[in-house]
Amino acid sequence: MDLFFWELARASGLATYAALCIAVLTGLAPRTQVLGFLAQNRAIRALHDWTPWIIIPAAITHVVALLLDATAQISLLDVVVPFQTSYGQLAIGLGTISLDLLVIVLVTTWMRRSMSNGAWQLFHRLSYVGFVAMFLHAVLSGTDLASPAISVMTWATALAIAYYSLERAGKGLGMVKARA
Amino acid sequence: MNTHHLPLLSAKAVPGTQPGAARRKPAGKVPAWALKLGTLFTTLSIFAGSFGYATTHLYATNAPLQPATIAAADSTSVASTGTPSTSGSTSTSSTATTTLTSSVRTTTQTAVTTTRHS
Repeated sequence: MDLFFWELARASGLATYAALCIAVLTGLAPRTQVLGFLAQNRAIRALHDWTPWIIIPAAITHVVALLLDATAQISLLDVVVPFQTSYGQLAIGLGTISLDLLVIVLVTTWMRRSMSNGAWQLFHRLSYVGFVAMFLHAVLSGTDLASPAISVMTWATALAIAYYSLERAGKGLGMVKARA
Repeated sequence: MNTHHLPLLSAKAVPGTQPGAARRKPAGKVPAWALKLGTLFTTLSIFAGSFGYATTHLYATNAPLQPATIAAADSTSVASTGTPSTSGSTSTSSTATTTLTSSVRTTTQTAVTTTRHS
């Protein structure tokens, strides 16, 4: 049974990573036209708003499977407080940070109407930090990233997101300069 | 064909277009529900594929993290494959999970102290 939880944790970890990649790409798409070939911005935006319904179950499955897996030795405190584990403190701690940031981004998104747009944007931009933390967590602790195929796909999606993030940041700076 | 003779169309003349939209590539027509379905299918496929891969590759020797229990299990297996003691006493590994007993038995026969050549 322990092996089942171990396999479940690995599979759900990669599924969470894939879902987060889709969420970040669809968030970048309206400005960068990265998915313009696929659909109009309104449909992309609807998909972006819907992605938590995939991310949340996948992330919960990953965390619960690791909690139930005796080999991983993850406690409830490790899920919330980073760098507390007896091994791989940095690698696992980055996963904890990404989970914490994911919770913050989701909660503030649901509370968007009760806060200013500027405050919401500030919280929402934490998702970039969360994605970087999750990517490093995957690289430093991902058992399946030893597979060349999985590693190539992981790096390719991360590089694509980095490229379009920079493009979006450049466009954002251009808009700020144009206003000034 | 000389385009100067064509009438200029304003953004309002063509429904769904905006000023400057003519320079952009035409957007795809996939509806939101199809995108959601595709995302769900993609994520589930990755989950199923990863699960299958994890099932067939249970132990990755080059995995970046090796929890302590795995290291202990490795040391136990090394200890069990070592040369067993012939003293007849019971030897235990460091984790006390594996007990090795000697297979050398005592005998009542006279000890052989000479060889054919001596």
